[in-house]
Amino acid sequence: MDHAIETSGLTKHYGRVTALADVSLHVDTGSVFGVIGPNGAGKTTMMRLLLDIIRPSAGSARVLGRSPREGAQRLRRNIGFVPGDLRLEGRVTGRQLLRHYARISGPVAPRAIDTLAERLGLDLGKQVRTLSKGNKQKLGLVQAFMHDPALLVLDEPTSGLDPLVQQEFLTMVREAKQNGQTVFLSSHVLSEIQQAADSVAILREGRIVTISDVDSLRLTAVRRVRVGITGSSPDAVRRVLEEVPHLSELTVGDGDGVRVTARVEGEIDPFVKAIGVFRVSDLAVEEPDLEESVLRLYGAPKTHHSGGREPNDVR
Amino acid sequence: MSGEALPLFRRALGDSWRSLVAWSLGVGAAIALYVPLFPSLGGNPDVQELLDSLPPELVNAIGYDQITTGAGYTQSTFYGLIGLMLLTIAATAWGTAAIAGDEETGSLELTLAHGVSRTQVVLERTAALAVRLGWLALLSALVVIALTDSAGLGIEPQNALAAAAAIFALTFLSGTLAIAVGGVTGRRVYATAAGAGIAVVAYALNAVANQGENVDWLHAWSPYHWAYANSPLAEGADWGGLGLLLGLSAVFLAIGLAAFSRRDLVT
Repeated sequence: MDHAIETSGLTKHYGRVTALADVSLHVDTGSVFGVIGPNGAGKTTMMRLLLDIIRPSAGSARVLGRSPREGAQRLRRNIGFVPGDLRLEGRVTGRQLLRHYARISGPVAPRAIDTLAERLGLDLGKQVRTLSKGNKQKLGLVQAFMHDPALLVLDEPTSGLDPLVQQEFLTMVREAKQNGQTVFLSSHVLSEIQQAADSVAILREGRIVTISDVDSLRLTAVRRVRVGITGSSPDAVRRVLEEVPHLSELTVGDGDGVRVTARVEGEIDPFVKAIGVFRVSDLAVEEPDLEESVLRLYGAPKTHHSGGREPNDVR
Repeated sequence: MSGEALPLFRRALGDSWRSLVAWSLGVGAAIALYVPLFPSLGGNPDVQELLDSLPPELVNAIGYDQITTGAGYTQSTFYGLIGLMLLTIAATAWGTAAIAGDEETGSLELTLAHGVSRTQVVLERTAALAVRLGWLALLSALVVIALTDSAGLGIEPQNALAAAAAIFALTFLSGTLAIAVGGVTGRRVYATAAGAGIAVVAYALNAVANQGENVDWLHAWSPYHWAYANSPLAEGADWGGLGLLLGLSAVFLAIGLAAFSRRDLVT
């Protein structure tokens, strides 16, 4: 079995609304596959189809070699799932809830639950309904990982988690991969996908825009930079930076030293090397903006204004 | 392996023990309040006079025509009215929560993403409903048996159990219909309306059918009549009626299961 997930023409309509249109992709066994796209792009619909929570209008999927419908509960024992809209309630403690899920999933190693809870900093003794959004999300992660499933399907797994826990989660994904497990995850945070995934599909309005390996995606990342420089004149700074490739929207101001803002597309390295000749008093590089990166992949005009975050602006 | 059996059944019971305790107190209290009044109400000639002065249509409709016997009194006050109401509400609430409620809160999605089939979810939760409802019915019989001598009801223990079986089967119908409608639609409001609705219709059909010979045929369509026509508190179990009620519950479940297994989860 080379492909943990294989879909062909997978389509889902809700009445006249098309949630997913003709999606064909495959996820190599033992790889980490990311799906990114704006809200409503079809990420959640796709994952629900893989879990047989909903059924396709057309096309087909194979998960671990089985169709989700026919594989049914035996197939799902080999999958760990975090739903995008995770809602956990109840007067039971986290530990009791996890024991319940352990009974209805694959076998869970004796210490697995405690180990995972410790790693994520989750108190298992508290009642589930009293937990914060982030802690409920941790419970969701533990129940997905605890039985070492062959396939992890994770819909926005880091939503509500603080940055340290997000890093721990990324470590867990890397370990899962080393274990030979396959991870299929969605996110709207590009850096997360870049750190974790081998390949990535970009989904928009239910369609796949592109599937590529993560390295080529990185080239299209769009970052905003702010630099403070002392001991140089604005003109000297401008002359150097105008030579940097893929740099646009350059502003050079004179105030408390030289203030520079710009937009850098793709690799950040030429820019960093270029400002290395100056005395840098301040440097901020913003997270690559997913929306902007996705827009780049649509071939949006280069002069596209920074305020334009609506995908509809493109066409 | 036995420790791992029926996980959804056990979770359903574990999650609802508080509500079961509350319902038990309610059912116990209702009987314990009504039954000791029998000597001063049902056995009282003045009350009989009062009933005679009322329009017979009213007396027939609420089933108070047998109130002068211990069995008739207990039937009219508890099994035919207050107890029926309590158990119907409990069954409808539990039946609604089993599928539709769990689906609307979003937790059913995560349960079904695990190694369980939809059929298993419906059946185990139906079993949990049956156990809880069965307990409430049994409890009512136990209280009646405990009080029959002091209140002078003259009800045989096996007949009290027969009445418990009748009220169980009748209200189980509301529970299974709520589960089935949840299975078909996934909507809490429809499930509750259906569970409560069938109880109201059954009661109303029976009340209308009591009015005379020209409407007597309506009895055949009333689950209330199936359960109580042969006065289980006085005459013992009516197996035909019980069979009919449980059979209809089975039909509801089969329809609910078929639809639930085929449709998308509402999310």
